[in-house]
Amino acid sequence: MNKVHSNTLYWMAITGVLFPVLILLGIFLRTVQAGGLAPLQSWFYPMMTLHGVGMVGVWYVAAMAGVSQMLTRYVEPTPLIGRVAIIGTLLGVGLLLACVFFGRYAAGWYFLYPLPFKGEWPQWSTVLFLVSLTVLGATWLLWSLDLLRAIAKRYTISQALAWHYLAGRSEPVVPPAVLITTVSLIAGVAALLSGVVVLALFYVELFAGTSNDALLMKNITFFFGHTLVNLTMYLGVALVYEVLPDYAGRPWKTNRIVAISWNCVLLIVLVAYFHHLYMDFVQPGVLQTIGQIASYASAIPAAVVTIFGALLLVYRAPMRWNLASILMFLGLAGWAIGGVGAVIDSTISANVKLHNTLWVPAHFHTYFLAGLCFMVIGYFYHCCQQLAEQPENRGLQRIAATLMVIGAYGVFAMFYFAGAFGVPRRYSIYPAELAYGAKYAAAATGFAAAFLLGFIVYLAETGKRWLRAVRAAP
Amino acid sequence: MCIAAASPAARAGPPPPTTRAEAALAGRVLPDIELTLADGRRARLAQLWREQALLLTFYYRRCAGTCTPFLEWVRDAVGEVGGLGRDYRVLALTIDAAETTADLRAQAAALRLLGRRDWLFAAASEADVAHIAGALDFRYRLDAVTRQYDHNSLLVGIEQGRVLRALLGTPEGSARLRELVWELRGRFVPLYRMPGRTPLRCLTLDPRSGQVRLDWGLLVLVLPAVLAIGIAGLTFAAARRERARAARGRTQ
Repeated sequence: MNKVHSNTLYWMAITGVLFPVLILLGIFLRTVQAGGLAPLQSWFYPMMTLHGVGMVGVWYVAAMAGVSQMLTRYVEPTPLIGRVAIIGTLLGVGLLLACVFFGRYAAGWYFLYPLPFKGEWPQWSTVLFLVSLTVLGATWLLWSLDLLRAIAKRYTISQALAWHYLAGRSEPVVPPAVLITTVSLIAGVAALLSGVVVLALFYVELFAGTSNDALLMKNITFFFGHTLVNLTMYLGVALVYEVLPDYAGRPWKTNRIVAISWNCVLLIVLVAYFHHLYMDFVQPGVLQTIGQIASYASAIPAAVVTIFGALLLVYRAPMRWNLASILMFLGLAGWAIGGVGAVIDSTISANVKLHNTLWVPAHFHTYFLAGLCFMVIGYFYHCCQQLAEQPENRGLQRIAATLMVIGAYGVFAMFYFAGAFGVPRRYSIYPAELAYGAKYAAAATGFAAAFLLGFIVYLAETGKRWLRAVRAAP
Repeated sequence: MCIAAASPAARAGPPPPTTRAEAALAGRVLPDIELTLADGRRARLAQLWREQALLLTFYYRRCAGTCTPFLEWVRDAVGEVGGLGRDYRVLALTIDAAETTADLRAQAAALRLLGRRDWLFAAASEADVAHIAGALDFRYRLDAVTRQYDHNSLLVGIEQGRVLRALLGTPEGSARLRELVWELRGRFVPLYRMPGRTPLRCLTLDPRSGQVRLDWGLLVLVLPAVLAIGIAGLTFAAARRERARAARGRTQ
């Protein structure tokens, strides 16, 4: 096992601190929706903004941190850039906290134009939010480019994208994790550049007084957000491809099918975001069709190939089940289950009913919380345990995993049922016609608390190993 | 925050709710009132809109302000956009109940529109004018000193007694009017052009055909992906050159 770089250990600590806080914000949101905490209801939308941006941001950096660590097995990322990424992220988070807590900025994680300019918050908090995203985007773009540079130093582009496997050759050996990471980083650069474009257009309107085209802004915003979230998922999957074989005692190699699949993902992920604009009737029909096809197609290479590969990996294998392998395997399951919810919602005729209902947060919470989160925290535990080599308390680890699974899927179920019954998303208080939405919210609060408890047990198990790893780190 | 305070958006205050007011009018049902036309005929408003779609505007003859320039702009713009007479008619309704048919004809003559069947100049009773103005949120107030009406400019597309679209104030250029007129001509226009300058658009309306066409803004959607692939290519190419240079250095 490679040494765990100190940057990775810092990221683990940052994730371990921020994630429970963001979970508490989520519990706050569902509690308000359940009719509780009446004096704090006016904070619903600022906290929803913080929860959304925070979760997407934390899991993006956590996945990038895991991948940066994982890549050290093959290439040499620049430690200084890794440190700049930490500082830049913390700075961006600080600005975000300021605009939300002092300015009550509440345009949501989508920051969908023209809402940032139209709310009841002061204009300076909108500017601060945009600056926060600028800092985060610039930092992460630099980080992504450095990882691409590191991969490029060892592999040619055709090797990194495993094109020689398409021709039936398997030399040089390219681990699946390098292939997936390369695909994800290229998509990530595209996503972050689109973030640059949308922020530039916001700034132009702010300082020049021009009006932006709402359709263009929505397209670019979702290109940025959807692509970023999806590639974050793929980074988590890269970690699983890398580590799960160690526990199965079998290799998980790149082959022609894996190479085809992930090269297709690179193209598909860049156009699948159109499914966010199905209800915008002014969007040209050809883009809606592309979005429909791409959304369905994205499931096959990424999920189907990976899921079958993982099942074959563990089937009748001498699996060593511990917190790392359990969480990683469960993460793949969560990704698949959430993906089914996503594919359903990405069907235009279904989207007509489900659009902007709680089905939408249901699916992305599923593949983010029970998918990506499990994969990444499983990897973090794996890294710490490899260094600490402490005896493992299987019972406690199973309790942690069980609580997190029950809690997470309980939260999702409440979202799915509510969404299926037409409860809209982003309502802080449900009117009389939607009173049943409050009951789902109340139940979800309990499940979220169970998840948090399970995560605390995970933190305890991983934390003591983390401390050992800190002492052993270079 | 200094930057926020310095920006034009901040100095100007909140943007005027023009588009919100226009959107609020869409779908409004108009009252049927009795009109007196410039040739002296009496007609019901409902009769006119059943015959053909109408482009309604308000004015008054004694206006020392925007009325005549606005009507001139409407005259020129609808001529440019096309479809007048065939698909719709313009109805200019005076808000001054004291105006006579002679005043209506004088106004039409001043605009070189006298005798045109596609331009109707009309008057109504004070109560009826107030009724229809109220239905369209059109505010007008007589200044007791100057005896001039304080009012805005409003263009409303009417089809079968309902508002299709409205334009509030004097539009910059005829682009927004085109969208309204094409709707009057029976084509569904999914666009709603905002007031002010928009540097990049995804879609635009072809004024001649009324078709929605792709515009340069769509290229912006492609740009990030193309740049990302380009950057990746350059990164790998630079690394390959570096390896080749290192290899040459070793052999030498």
